[in-house]
Formats: sequence, C-alpha cells, structure tokens
Amino acid sequence: MARVRTGVRAVSAVLAAVVGATLAGCSSTGGKRAEERAAKSAQGRAAVDTPRWTIAMVTHSGDGDTFWDIVRNGAEQAALKDNIKFLYAHSDEGQQQSEQVQTYIDQKVDGLIVTLAKPDAMKAVVAKARKAGIPVITVNSGSAESKAYGALSHIGQDETIAGEAVGDELNKRGKKKALCVLHEQGNVGHEQRCDGTRKTFKGELKNLYVEGTNMPDVLSAIEAKLQSDDDIDTVVTLGAPFADTAVKAKAQAGSDAEIDTFDLNEKVAEGLADGDLGFAVDQQPYLQGYQAVDLLWLYKYNADVLGGGQPVLTGPQIVTKDEADELAEYAKRGTR
Amino acid sequence: MSGSPLHGAHPPAALPDLDERLLHRSVLRRLMSRPELGAVVGAVAVFVFFCVVADSFLQLSSLSTVLYASSTIGIMAVPVALLMIGGEFDLSTGVAVTTSALVSSMFSYQMTANVWVGVGVSLLTSLAIGFFNGIVLVRTGLPSFIITLATFLMLTGMNLGFTKLISGAVSTKTIGDMEGFASAREVFASQYTIGDVNLKVTIVWWLGLVAVATWILLRTRAGNWIFAAGGNAHAARAVGVPVARTKIALYMGTGFGAWVLGQHLLFSFDSVQSGEGVGNELLYIIAAVIGGCLMTGGYGSAIGAAVGALIFGMTNKGIVYAQWDADWFKFFLGAMLLLATLLNAWVRKRAEASK
Amino acid sequence: MSERKKQPRDQRPRSRLHKGPGESPQESLREEIPGAGDSVGSGDSEASAGIGDAGASVGIGDTGGTGGTAGTGATVDSGKDDAPLVELSKVSKHYGNIKALEGVSLEVRAGEISCVLGDNGAGKSTLIKIISGLHQHDAGTFHIEGEPARLDSPRAALDRGIATVYQDLAVVPLMPVWRNFFLGSEPTKGRGLLRRLDTALMRDTTRAELLRMGIDLRDVDQPIGTLSGGERQCVAIARAVYFGAKVLVLDEPTAALGVKQSGVVLKYVAAARDAGLGVVLITHNPHHAYLVGDRFVLLKRGAMAGSHAKSEITLDELTRQMAGGSDLEELSHELARTPTPDLSSGRATS
Repeated sequence: MARVRTGVRAVSAVLAAVVGATLAGCSSTGGKRAEERAAKSAQGRAAVDTPRWTIAMVTHSGDGDTFWDIVRNGAEQAALKDNIKFLYAHSDEGQQQSEQVQTYIDQKVDGLIVTLAKPDAMKAVVAKARKAGIPVITVNSGSAESKAYGALSHIGQDETIAGEAVGDELNKRGKKKALCVLHEQGNVGHEQRCDGTRKTFKGELKNLYVEGTNMPDVLSAIEAKLQSDDDIDTVVTLGAPFADTAVKAKAQAGSDAEIDTFDLNEKVAEGLADGDLGFAVDQQPYLQGYQAVDLLWLYKYNADVLGGGQPVLTGPQIVTKDEADELAEYAKRGTR
Repeated sequence: MSGSPLHGAHPPAALPDLDERLLHRSVLRRLMSRPELGAVVGAVAVFVFFCVVADSFLQLSSLSTVLYASSTIGIMAVPVALLMIGGEFDLSTGVAVTTSALVSSMFSYQMTANVWVGVGVSLLTSLAIGFFNGIVLVRTGLPSFIITLATFLMLTGMNLGFTKLISGAVSTKTIGDMEGFASAREVFASQYTIGDVNLKVTIVWWLGLVAVATWILLRTRAGNWIFAAGGNAHAARAVGVPVARTKIALYMGTGFGAWVLGQHLLFSFDSVQSGEGVGNELLYIIAAVIGGCLMTGGYGSAIGAAVGALIFGMTNKGIVYAQWDADWFKFFLGAMLLLATLLNAWVRKRAEASK
Repeated sequence: MSERKKQPRDQRPRSRLHKGPGESPQESLREEIPGAGDSVGSGDSEASAGIGDAGASVGIGDTGGTGGTAGTGATVDSGKDDAPLVELSKVSKHYGNIKALEGVSLEVRAGEISCVLGDNGAGKSTLIKIISGLHQHDAGTFHIEGEPARLDSPRAALDRGIATVYQDLAVVPLMPVWRNFFLGSEPTKGRGLLRRLDTALMRDTTRAELLRMGIDLRDVDQPIGTLSGGERQCVAIARAVYFGAKVLVLDEPTAALGVKQSGVVLKYVAAARDAGLGVVLITHNPHHAYLVGDRFVLLKRGAMAGSHAKSEITLDELTRQMAGGSDLEELSHELARTPTPDLSSGRATS
C-alpha cells in the first residue's frame, strides 16, 4: 500500500512539473491556439427541421489517415447542417468493411455511404442494404461498379482520369522518367492512378511499392530507388503524407527529381508554395463527404438524385504554386 | 482393446469409497477446472455489457452478424489453439488465408478448370505451407516465431508477386461465372435464412472444427501427444511420443483452417485482393489466449478458443452497434479484451483455489 | 501398436510394491491380494501373488536391505538367468574429437541395483544415453540379455524393456496424472474414426497402480505438476514398471529432492528392485547409492575409476573415491557432515 501511495505522489509530481513547464513556456506562434484562431471545421447548427435521420459511412481507410479525416470533416459539416446523426466506421480489410456495413444495416440506418475500393467484397452487402430499403451512395472509389451495385450515385474522382491528368501535366513539364510510389499494396484505385499516368505519359513510368504504414520504410525505399537510378526526374506519390517524405528522400539521395503528388494537405500546400513540390492533383475529399451526406438528405427529403447515372466527379484538379497560398489556409483547418 | 497390456487392470475392490467421493466432487470440479471456464464467464459479461449499451445488439439479425464475424476468426483460432497447446506459434496464418483463396481462384481461372479443381489444389497448397513450417521447425530447431515470421513475409510477397504476374492486377479476376462455382459457394459461403435471421455456413464450419478439435484433444492419442509436445517435449520424446510428427501435423491443421477460411472469402466475394490478411494472425492467437491457451504451450482448449473468438466478434461488432466514435475503436477493442482476459484469469484463479 | 509390448508384459509377473512405511505388512498384503485376484491371465495372477508375498515378507521397513534378491529367482523368467539384463563392456563414445566415454563396463542383473557414480561431466549422462537409445556407442560391446544390441531410438530401448526416468524431464507438469501415466502408450478402444482413448481404463489403472506404490491420490485428474517432486519420480517409476520394463534407468532421481523425499524415492527404487527389475541408478551422491546399491561403478572424466560390489567397499571408501581421492578427502569429509549410511544425511555431498 505504501508503495502505491509513493507511486501516486510521483505521478502527481510529474504532472505538476508538466503543467508548470507548459505555463512558463508559452509559444507565441503556432500550436493549439493558432488552430483555435482559425475557423473550426464542423460548426454551426441545423438549418432544416427534417427528422433526425441517421446516416452511416464506411470507408476502406486505414487507421489515422489524413485524407479520410477530411472526408469525414465534410460529412460531419453536412450532417450538422442537415440535422443528421452521422456514424463512421472504417477498415482496410474488405471482409471487415463489409461486416461493418452489415452492422449498420442491422441498426436500420436511414442512409449508407460506402467506398468500393474492394468492390467484390462489398457487392453482396450493398445489395443487402438496398433490399433493406436503405439508400446507398458510393464515394471516392468504385465509379465503375457503383451503378451496377444499385447505388444512387457515385461521388469521387475517376482514378484513371486523374492519372491521365498527371501524365499530361508531366508531358507539359517535359519529364522523361517517373516513379509512381504505391503506398498500399492491393489497392485497385492506386493501380489505376499509376496506370492512367502511364497511359498519357510519354516517358517511362516505374511502380514502387512501399509500406505506407511505415514512414521510415517509405523514406528509405524512395531514397534507394533514387540513388540507384539517376535518370529518374519525377517522383509521383499517391497520397499527400508521402510527398513530404519523398522530398526528404530526394534531399538525402542528392537527386534533383521533381516531386508531385496526388491529394492535398497542409504540408503539401506549403511544399507547393516553397517550390519543393511541382504540382498536386486534388480530388477534394471534403466535397466527397459533404456531398454524399447532403445528397442522401436531398434524397430522403425530396427524392433528388445527382449525376444522372454518371459519377459526380470531384477531381482531378491540378494545384500548383499559384493556388497554393489560398489552399494552405483551408488545408490547415482540415477541409482541403 | 487392440492388444493393450491392460487386461485385468480394474481398480482393486478396496476402492469403492474413494470412487464415491470422487464422483460427487467431479461434476462441479471438472467444470471449474476446465480451461475455458474463464472465457465463458468473460463472454457472458461482454454479451450483457453490449446488450445494455447498444440498443440494436440484442436483435436476431445483429446476433447473426456477430456470429458470422466470430466464425471467421474462430475457424482459424481453433487450429491455432491446438498449435499453441502443442507449444508453437504460427504468424503466417493471416496471409496463408489469402494465399489459399488466391491459389484456388487463379488456378481455376488460368486453367479454365472446374473451380473444385482449384479448391483441391488450394487445399494441397495450404497443407504444404503448414508442412513446410512444421518440417523447418523440427529440422532446424529454430523458434517457431522466427520460422513462421519468415513464412509470413514470403507469403505476403508471393501473394502480391504471383497475383500481379499471373493476373496482371493486384486482385484476381472473378470466377463467379465458372463451372462448379455455385456448388462450391454452397459449401463455403452459403447462408440459411431462418425467419429473418441469416446464418452463414461458416458458423457450421466453425462449430464443426471445434467439435473435431475437442474430440482430438480429449479423446485420442494424438490429443495426448499434443498436450505433451507443448507441455514438455523432452519428456514426451523420452516416452516415445512422436513429437516431430505431432508438430508437423499441427501446422498442417492450421493450413487446413486457412484453406477453409480462404475458400469462404473467395466464394463470398468472387475475387480476392492479394494484399489482405496481414495482421489477422494476431487476432487468432489473441482469441486462443483469451480462450485459456497458455502462451507457453501445454494447456488450453478448442472450445475456449471458440469462445475467445466469440468475445472478439462481440466486442468488434458491439462497438459499432454501440455507435462509439470510430477513432476510439481500437482503444475500446483493446480495453474490452484486456477486461475479458483479466476476468478470465481471475475466474480461473478462483476456480483453482476452490479445488 | 501395443502387440509388441504385450509380450514382455505377459512374461514378467506384475510387480507388487509396498505400502508406505506406516502400514503393517498385513494391511499391505490385504490390499494386494484382491488386486492380484482381479488379474485376468491366470498364470500371471498366480505368479504375481507369489511375488507379492515374497516381496511383502522381505521389503517392509527394510528398504536398504539386500533381501530383494530373494525374489529374483522367481522373477527372472526367460531362462537366461546367467546372462545380465544389460551388459556394457569397454564401451566408448566420442563426440568429434571429444572423448565422452572411454572403456566403461557396466553390468545390470535382475533384482539388483547398479549404481553409476561420478561428478558433473564424468560421462554419466552419455552412459545413460547409450543405454536408453538416444546415442550409440562407438567402441566396445553392448549386450541385452546376452544378445549384442545397438539401440537407435528411445522407442527401441523401450521395446527391449529398458525404461529411462529422467530427473526433471520425467513428466509433463500440466497434464493430469493419468494422461502422464499412459503417455506414449495410450490404450484405445473403437475402430477407425471412432478409435478413442479408453479413459475409464486409464484413470482406474493409474489410480490402482499408484496405490500399489503407496501413493494415494485423491484425484488422478489433477495436473502432475501439483504432486511433490518425489511423487512425480514415483509416478514415472510406476509407469516404467507397469509397462513391463525389465531394466529401469534412473537419472539422478534424488538430485533435486529434499531429504525426506529422497528417502521416499529410494524406497520405491528398492521396491522396483524387489519386484525383479534391474536398476541402473545414476547419482553423484554416494550416500544414496550405498543405501540401495548392489554394485558401484565410478566414472571420472569419461573413464572408469573403479567398479565394486557392495561387499567389497565401505561407504567411506566410496565417498573418498567419488570425491577425487586423497586431494579432496578433507573437503569430502567437511561436506559429508554425518557420514553414516542414514537417510537423514542423504544430501550431505550433493
């Protein structure tokens, strides 16, 4: 018992020290307060008086993915405005993802938003949702399958088209040899991005698989590749967090390749402004989440459907240094 | 009697008192000393907990979802539990499931064969992977942790490498329109609707495996050997137990489990993603440990592992039914598992003390 | 599976070991007779009863005595009374260029205890491994019941009636006593897929056999790890005896035990001897060896340092030789606080 009390005392002492140090050492720049000064992401209150419907979203996101955080922010903002109870679950395993959708069907939610990154795994459960009378909207990935599976509409970016846009941009910049860094083995959308780029790109494009959940591995893999091949003049990463890593790898390898990336975040916006990055291809994730929830509300309220049977495209939008400053602010608050 | 040397070895007549005494104690005591007791208590606690906090948890359709989720873990947790009782680990089980599905799918597709041919080839491959793990283990004497970690990495690479090489993409092509698909789906991925409850056939596989594994463990010579191989391999070897063969067979058992689950994934989704399965091996081990298997081997039960899988399935889905924030999902999962395991350990301790 | 084992089992009468020291010979006899009467094979049971009598009349309260040889004539069955059960002569074993064993001879006769004494690294365990089939000898001869032998596995040794009980490896601690008892030789019933353990038979037999060894277990379902070290050794010995061992090799059976437990184990060693088994007792404790041994082989750095019958040597001399001759004599005396052949001082030099 005595020892426990000693332990408690030690813990309190440490806590006191931490609080003291925090109070004494205020930072006048950045940090939480700077964030609080900026506009918060999801705020406001319901603008409609429809019943409180429940809408669930199930994505193929891994844990702690910044991209999906933005999608979720958009969805939550729309949910707030539309007086909707918003539920969110995610798993990067197709099997798990389909089970999560099933649990929401069991809960008889009023609408479902799913991603079809692993379409075969989701097919049966989407059909089930439809059978249970739950409207489904697909977002982000699955533009090809969405209609066939019976979803109302698809909101996202056609990955192949996005890839083609990158290929065109690379041609415009006169690149000869590029590296496509895939950070998630087995993701169909990622393959499509690289394949799309390859389709329009006049130079040579090589694929590099890295372990996306292990940043040091990503760094060393890109670095090794750049060291082993001097001819590479462009590195295309498929996710915003990897662009910054690629910049570091480039510096360490002493290469002068240009780093370009799919997707956007605060760091990428800064990189664009600094000139570390050539361009980014944005698919506006915030819009994907926001629109999906809003569309389900419209469907429930007014039976509206958007897209006319075609996917509603939120990208690709090529972002360069010119737009970077403006976007940086939005990226900082987690909406771009 | 198969010529056993035990003829006439009845207990001496002087013993009836003793037997009487034993009989009275044994029903309760046997129950109390079962390794799965703690897990059962833990499962009941988790069940009651989610019934209280999640409105939609206690409806038949939800329960069938939970059972299905449990069964997909339980099918592997049972052979993994046997292996752990036999004193070894297998870290390659998660990706071996994917390998099984990939082999089956690609073989059928590329050879344009009846899918049952692919299913058979897949079974052989899965058993061969188990055999490989086992034979390397007994030949080299290296820790199973290292060997199966190597297998895990090799399989992960081969899954992706071969799939891209053969199919040209990271997932396999659909075999849904091929001959034999319907009957294979019937066996591995069908579902029965009773009322408005869908029961997936994996639940049957799961319970079947539990029954067979329990029979083997408690009522056959092989079961005795499994306990002995894990409890004290040297002693077992010294009295003539074929420890090496037992361990190889156990690894092939996990291969069989991987085959069943792999076929289920294939026939429920028509095609397979080559990168999946990584990390699931730990879930199987966790289920076995929650179910009362000792990490050090020599103790545990198949029923316990099944209950462990049930706890995991209930927690996993219960959190979604309870509509807790997804960001905290893993935290809640970990906390529930810790609580269930602590309760398990506590109950077992009480049971032992009350002997 | 067990066809092979049936034979030695039938040839050799079942052992009748004795109750604990607290019981009178009469009680012990009363316990044994119904048990013997239950035996089915008629010739077998007759012989058993006979041995039971002989054993009971000699062994009780006299564990250190040599009276066990009285039963020997009756127990040795196959007419090869003159050939030792196991005979090693000039046996050598090399591991690469390391000499583990050089020219060691050992004789084990039915109803006798041959002790192998030596310090750590003297070659005791190599010798055991040769006898128990884990290793093969490189030079010299190895005879079992007069026939040249070369055992290539523990199983082969078991089939020739040589059972080895290792000091700490004897049992699987977490398994119930009855499963341990039959480990590796489980009786089954039923055919094909329904072939299953005969658990009732296993439990009953275990209980009965242990009771005969004087161990009264409330419950044979308890993990064997919950038994005391001495009891565990006894279960292992009982198991070897039950499965028809003719030669029992005991590797340091008392090394990890307290004084009282050592006494219990030595009592069962003597009892096994009285039942007609040949026993090889490996130990580095001359006091324990001298209590029960009939002959002593001393090993030193892989070679024989002496071989004596009990009548030829005193405990003091044995202890002196064991301790390394005159150099270590002083130390030896220092360590052997009470150098008398008494159980209570059993651990003096260990």
